[in-house]
Amino acid sequence: MILHIDMDAFFASIEQAINPRLKGKPLIVGSRPDKMHTVVCAASYQAKALGICSGMNSREAFSICPQLQFVTADQSKYIWTSEQIHDMLKIYGFRLNYASIDEFRMDILNHPQPTALAEDIRQRIHSRFNITASVGIAGNCLLAKLASKLNKPNGIAIMDDSNLEPILARAPVDKLCGIGKSTNILLRSLGLETCLDLYLKSPQFMQRHLGKAGLNLYAGLHSSESFQEEPLEDNQPKSIGHSYTFPRASKNPGFIKAWIRLLSEMVAARLRQKSLESSCVALWLNSPEKGNFSAQKTFSRATNDGYEIYLKTLKIMAKMSLQTPKIRALGVSCQSLSKAEYPPLLIEEKRREDLIQALDRINERFGEHTVFPAVISLSRKMQ
Amino acid sequence: MPQQGFNPKARWDRHIPEQNNSPQEQGLDEKIQVLAWFRSGKITPCEFIWNNKEYRIKQVTYSWQERLGRDIISYFSIDTGNDLYQISFNNTAFTWRLDKIL
Repeated sequence: MILHIDMDAFFASIEQAINPRLKGKPLIVGSRPDKMHTVVCAASYQAKALGICSGMNSREAFSICPQLQFVTADQSKYIWTSEQIHDMLKIYGFRLNYASIDEFRMDILNHPQPTALAEDIRQRIHSRFNITASVGIAGNCLLAKLASKLNKPNGIAIMDDSNLEPILARAPVDKLCGIGKSTNILLRSLGLETCLDLYLKSPQFMQRHLGKAGLNLYAGLHSSESFQEEPLEDNQPKSIGHSYTFPRASKNPGFIKAWIRLLSEMVAARLRQKSLESSCVALWLNSPEKGNFSAQKTFSRATNDGYEIYLKTLKIMAKMSLQTPKIRALGVSCQSLSKAEYPPLLIEEKRREDLIQALDRINERFGEHTVFPAVISLSRKMQ
Repeated sequence: MPQQGFNPKARWDRHIPEQNNSPQEQGLDEKIQVLAWFRSGKITPCEFIWNNKEYRIKQVTYSWQERLGRDIISYFSIDTGNDLYQISFNNTAFTWRLDKIL
């Protein structure tokens, strides 16, 4: 049995715990300090009741509610709180993993009193942090996550054989994790409106209409096994990428290159974590004058070295004939991924690999970007 | 659906462009003197002196920690009854700072 813990309006709740004068008020947490030119990272339940939600731009949020309270996001608090909750949950002795910064999954096996356990967890979290959580209990991860949304905020829901089908019949199909806008449209065109409609379909139907994703969805809905802690072999990603939107457009080449280097290092770190290499690098840029433009290039040698990926993106950029437009957003991604199997042959390459592995160990221990290339510090100097 | 490698320690946000603080969060970053309890592995600030004025802390509303290189910084949001402040303690340098008025 899986217990899925989902913190209620996590970022906003922490800010309200920090500043009790914000409790009970509509509050948004913005990604940047400029409250009229940012995006809503999180909204309190009072703000959500007015129709304000994550991803909305702040100007629109303030037009809905001019009295909205605003706080700038501070990742250190949220990450620390998330880690403390994770450590607290480990005490129960069940297999545990993160689903996201504010969601946790616990395999409670055949615990005789899952509801009492869930209540104990919620009380502990509230007592320690003064924030609330909702818990879903079901036979597998996908259904437990769906259950956690049923009695939000500050509630518990359990889905078992006695109530599974009635609950699924009331839940629209897009409530399921993994069903995005386009899949929702496709499912509705097939006459599938509720989670129960999907649940009753055969694996053959799911594969015919949704391919491998459909089979995974079927397995997710019907699985009765404990969650996988290790990623499956055939879950190798097709590409890995990172992107960023600047607070305002810039044509400072040092600033833009610093960001390309940072994104290259982030992509490379994830490649190394998964023991993958890439021979195809893609760069996309967005300019207020020219819109989106991108290019990619396949190289003869695969790599997972951030500096090499950075050099490859600079080659791509040189061929783009940009004539220095202003850049508002950019992204770096690596495709044509393969397993990193062959050790370097040349001494210099071996030394470089040893250096990268040492830096990875430092960043693994002390947190990503504890040690980073000096040029990346220019990424903070908006000009 | 299996989740792919969430890492709570990822702090790429440290590289985002510097911006001025919003008017609501006035950054101060000033050295202060603090009277605090250190017991059972916890730090509990009780009062602080800022600009030669003493402030008694009525409540610590929240606390958290962050690692900056080898330093561990402990942050506290504190309520004096009149105002809310954020103060921090650097566990390596053993210094207290008044970060901002909330």
